[in-house]
Amino acid sequence: MNNSSKVFIADGIDKVYAMGDVKVNALRDISFSIQTGEYVAIMGPSGSGKSTLMHIMGCLDRPTSGSLYLRGKDIGSLSDGELAEIRNTEIGFVFQNFNLLPNMSILENVELPLLYAGMPARERRTRATWALEVVGLADRLRHKPNEISGGQKQRVSIARAMVNQPAILLADEPTGNLDTATGKEIMALFDELNAKGNTIILVTHERDVAEHATRIIYILDGRIEHFEFRIQDEEEHVPVWEVVEA
Amino acid sequence: MNLKEFIRIAFHSLSANKLRTALSLLGIIIGVASVITMVAIGTGAQEQVTGQIGAMGSNLITVSPGFSRGGGGRISQDIADVFTLEMAEAIKNASPNIKHVVPTSETSGLAVYRGNNVRVRISGVTPEYQEVINHYPLVGRYVREQDVANSEKVTVLGSEVASELFGPENPVGQSIRVVIGDRSYSLRVIGVMESKGQVMMANYDNRIYVPITMLIKRGLKTRYVDGYSIEAASRDVAKSVVQEVEVFMTRMLGDADRFRVMSQDTILETVSQATGTLTLLLGAIASIALLVGGIGIMNIMLVTVSERTREIGIRKAIGAKRKHILMQFLLEAVLLSGLGGILGLGTGWAGGYWLSRGLGWPFSVSPVAVVIAIGFSVCIGLFFGIYPASKAASLDPVVALRYE
Repeated sequence: MNNSSKVFIADGIDKVYAMGDVKVNALRDISFSIQTGEYVAIMGPSGSGKSTLMHIMGCLDRPTSGSLYLRGKDIGSLSDGELAEIRNTEIGFVFQNFNLLPNMSILENVELPLLYAGMPARERRTRATWALEVVGLADRLRHKPNEISGGQKQRVSIARAMVNQPAILLADEPTGNLDTATGKEIMALFDELNAKGNTIILVTHERDVAEHATRIIYILDGRIEHFEFRIQDEEEHVPVWEVVEA
Repeated sequence: MNLKEFIRIAFHSLSANKLRTALSLLGIIIGVASVITMVAIGTGAQEQVTGQIGAMGSNLITVSPGFSRGGGGRISQDIADVFTLEMAEAIKNASPNIKHVVPTSETSGLAVYRGNNVRVRISGVTPEYQEVINHYPLVGRYVREQDVANSEKVTVLGSEVASELFGPENPVGQSIRVVIGDRSYSLRVIGVMESKGQVMMANYDNRIYVPITMLIKRGLKTRYVDGYSIEAASRDVAKSVVQEVEVFMTRMLGDADRFRVMSQDTILETVSQATGTLTLLLGAIASIALLVGGIGIMNIMLVTVSERTREIGIRKAIGAKRKHILMQFLLEAVLLSGLGGILGLGTGWAGGYWLSRGLGWPFSVSPVAVVIAIGFSVCIGLFFGIYPASKAASLDPVVALRYE
């Protein structure tokens, strides 16, 4: 396998938090790689360290030791400004609680990453409208986030994440605040986006959600406990998961 | 970076919390308004005073007695008995730029007409005096050469004196009694002066004019006058005339300490300096209000930053750099203070206008004060906004995102 086709390479990542005198090992020796166009779920119970891993993968945080390469660049060696730029252009975040800015219209929310990228107004408008069309919200551009439903909010959040056409979409419990039916719709949208070639990383503790991916990285107590690969059962059309110990 | 867009975002945030914005605006408005009002009052007072001095004739030069220095048990006092009537003619030869030299003396007394009496200042003058101080009779006539030559017992009344003694009656041709010291004189009224009002410390309307000879020879029983009022040919030459008169009189009297020569311009300078200091002082006091307004902005910005920690986290997560966040909050603070500055300017302008009208002073807001007030309030926004803004900009995105 060629390294250039890999979006992420995690190489022995440790993350240690100092809580007063006590040191907490949130992540220990995490190593994996993710290929372009892959659909991966990072799964684990709460407190397993998956959020910490997501923050590092999202370039919001740096590993204490070990390296994380995003498209060949070592995240740990970059400055805050460079990390912000990577967050802006390479990563699209989808949050559990949507994290839309309440005072801005939906269109303005989606335009925001482009604004920070320094794109001119007209182009921003065109791109944001396009992204909202992809998630099926082209008719709600002027609405404020509090005027639409939870499912719609998550769609806006997805539109905002992909408006810059990032290398990866990073979704943190994207269905956590939604009812089952709406959650299924949102997951269908992710499936669709992956089918169009987007690299998607889901962080979740729900098996149902994780099974939308083609690979599951299972984390427990800050370590990778095992990987699971999906094998399509030819006769039953039901996915079967093959577990590989880390 | 797209400045216009960021200003729009800042406006957005300010309008999201209208009451808070209005209250912090109020602090700056009051600060700027008080600076503008105070400075307007100060400069108004200055213009009022200098205008009055100018109205007296800016080419006016006065010669008055010097002080004898105290010491050796003697008290410092004005040197009296120096100037004579005759010296006036001589002084006129001191410079070709002298138009008139008027010997003047002054005393106070009581003017009586029938049952009415009023305390007055009595000025002994020559005919040229009306031109020298730019003050003319409204009805009747002024003191003439003839009156001076004969020490005539005639008088021209100040407007206030005329109305207090005569009411609506025409005083011209009537006789009034004037008590100077323990003697009383009957003076024929030959005219009434136009109203001039309070000029500097002196009220020109509660005095009466008499021929100088009449005052010193009959009234004060002396051959000396208090001093001289000199009219220079123009304002430009007034300064050189002062010097020429000084040189001339030093030679004549043999002692430069026995007299003082002052032009209106020297007085004007002194007064301007005093009122300028007053303006500065008023402005400085008002600036404290502006400073307090600035602290209010800082306070509100700090609250805003901690309230919007999560928003800052979201913005950072989707790619806002340090400079973007810094600029967003700094712009909010500057917009707040700048807006307050403009509104305060309007308020202060209106306040100054009404106050000046109430006091009867000319109203003026100097463009310098406007620029300083607006500039200063914007700087206050920058200064007090920089700390909250940099606090926002340096938030850790992970911590900020978790913030509830």
